[in-house]
Amino acid sequence: MSDSFTHRVLPYDGMDDYLAGALPFLREGAASGDRVLAVTPLASGLLLRDELGAAADAIEFHESASWYSHPARTLAGCLDMADAAEREGRRLRILGEPGWSGRPAPEVLEWQRTEALVNVAFAGTPTAILCPYARSLPAGVVASSRRTHPESVRGVSAVRNPGYLDPWTFSARCDGEPLPAPPPDAESMALDRPDLYWLRAYVGEFARRAGLLPAGDLQRLLVAVTEVVTNATRHGAPPMALTMWADPADGSVVCQVTDAGRWAPGAGHGLVPPRAAGAGPGRFGLWAVRLLCSAVQIRTGEQGTTVRLRLRPSAVPAGTAHPVDTA
Amino acid sequence: MRWASDSRRAAYSCQHPDDPDGQAMDTAWFAKRPVTEVRPGDHGWLAYSGAEERDRVIGTFIEAGLRHEEKVVYVTDTPPERLPGMALRTSLDLCAYTGSGQLRVIPTQEACRGRNGAFEPGRLLDTLGREVDGTFGQGFRAARLTIDHSWVLAGRDGADLGPMLGCEQGFGDAVSPSTMAMAICQVSRRACSPGQLAALRATHEVLIEVDPEFDDGVLRIVRTFQPHGLRLAGELDAVRHARFTEELGRVARAHRRIHLDFAELGFIDLGGLTLLAEHATRLGGGRALVLDHLPPDVESVIEMVGWHRLPGLVRGRRRAPHAPGGGRP
Repeated sequence: MSDSFTHRVLPYDGMDDYLAGALPFLREGAASGDRVLAVTPLASGLLLRDELGAAADAIEFHESASWYSHPARTLAGCLDMADAAEREGRRLRILGEPGWSGRPAPEVLEWQRTEALVNVAFAGTPTAILCPYARSLPAGVVASSRRTHPESVRGVSAVRNPGYLDPWTFSARCDGEPLPAPPPDAESMALDRPDLYWLRAYVGEFARRAGLLPAGDLQRLLVAVTEVVTNATRHGAPPMALTMWADPADGSVVCQVTDAGRWAPGAGHGLVPPRAAGAGPGRFGLWAVRLLCSAVQIRTGEQGTTVRLRLRPSAVPAGTAHPVDTA
Repeated sequence: MRWASDSRRAAYSCQHPDDPDGQAMDTAWFAKRPVTEVRPGDHGWLAYSGAEERDRVIGTFIEAGLRHEEKVVYVTDTPPERLPGMALRTSLDLCAYTGSGQLRVIPTQEACRGRNGAFEPGRLLDTLGREVDGTFGQGFRAARLTIDHSWVLAGRDGADLGPMLGCEQGFGDAVSPSTMAMAICQVSRRACSPGQLAALRATHEVLIEVDPEFDDGVLRIVRTFQPHGLRLAGELDAVRHARFTEELGRVARAHRRIHLDFAELGFIDLGGLTLLAEHATRLGGGRALVLDHLPPDVESVIEMVGWHRLPGLVRGRRRAPHAPGGGRP
């Protein structure tokens, strides 16, 4: 298992193009005993199954819509699979086609960022990822795919993308625009007490008053806000403040923590998980915050630092079964 | 005060399938009271798992009474200076207290045994009734009563608990309406079967436990002895990490599996979870930290972060499905 990490874009015009790139990738994986996943829109999945015939049995098919539900969680899930595959001495191979249409612009941006960060997160693993991009997608999406994938598939070979950007540079560019200002009716409180009990009481009260979040969601928000404020208390500079509002666009509760400090260049924004395998518990603060919230936006600079957490009420509790210990 | 002596009640009704011997951890429908907060009218129950637990509860119970002009009545064959918890309380002048009648240590033969040495419930109730009746006349503000039933039960697995239950029932009927009498009935968990423990516990209204190790109104940390570990109530965050780590370190000294009862935990921050995982990793030797009775919203946070990223933490007992919910202390 000497294969190294690959992350390639497959630009395609029609289904023939698509199959010409995807089928060899999947067949090769099935033939070499890789763990192979095809994450595609439903129709493409059916087409691939037809074409693959018996080889399709060795491939796990998933639908893009549910797979690409949350950048941090999806990335974490894929990394866990890569680790598990590696432990079995296998390679993880993913044909991954994020659904781009119908997403609001900020979400598109986060998935583009994720495409870039895949290069950091999977570096050193033998994972192979191939991402089909239809040329009919918005021009910006197609163009960004060449900045976030080191290579393109052309016919049977892979060629370097001259426009490929360093993932962290790409990620920083995603944060280039200032965040939209909070609405005028947002509620604000100064954070000047070290005990965060009061802060949680306030956030909980706000969420309850607005009837916003079920208990599980509220707990996640409280954990996230506590973590961000704890960080700001330790590393930031006063004055610190919390601003909250409800976003009627998608029903989200938004909590924004601001302070006057500026994060050091290279300070982790929690965009890539700490590697789990054998590393022990370690710090995962901001990374976990990203898992807990629907979206996290960070801006840091001369004017201070803003961390904006969004939590959209959802009825989807994450999680997998865990052995019960009654001893 | 009326000291009825012979009523019985259905006993095994409070057993939980997950908790056959009535371990205090699961019994949210009983009032649970730190020993310092025992008050008149409490007919309290202490099923102790060892000398440490008993000494801490009973020692505090005795000392609080003696220091507050309350009469302390202890039915036992142990001499005053060897009563539970007294070895550490050398500042208490026990001789003076026994001399003044404030501390009454009554031997079992005198208090509750018949001529053949057997336990006689009626006699015990008479004795305690007499002691309580004299309280005000002797100048005391209240009466604290305690007796360890272990000797009655020891070696009598499956024996008829009827007389004992009747005794406790009568005792409870007498103490509960009282504005000046409070009692702790003790028994060693090893002295009887789980079924007997549950039956006896059911005749009491209040479960007495050790005073919290820590309580600042936001977080309360209580030692648990069965299972060995800590119970957390309220919210654990960075301001309280150090204190919690200290208590965790203390229970980790015993080389046993550590259970953390989270039933009443309203919040734990990421630093707290990391701290638990680091602690579990340091314990090594397969000594996991068992998280019992995780509230669903706290568990959903752990699941979102991933149990596998918190090595050494395992999910323990589920919360009893119909028990009242947790909350802040």
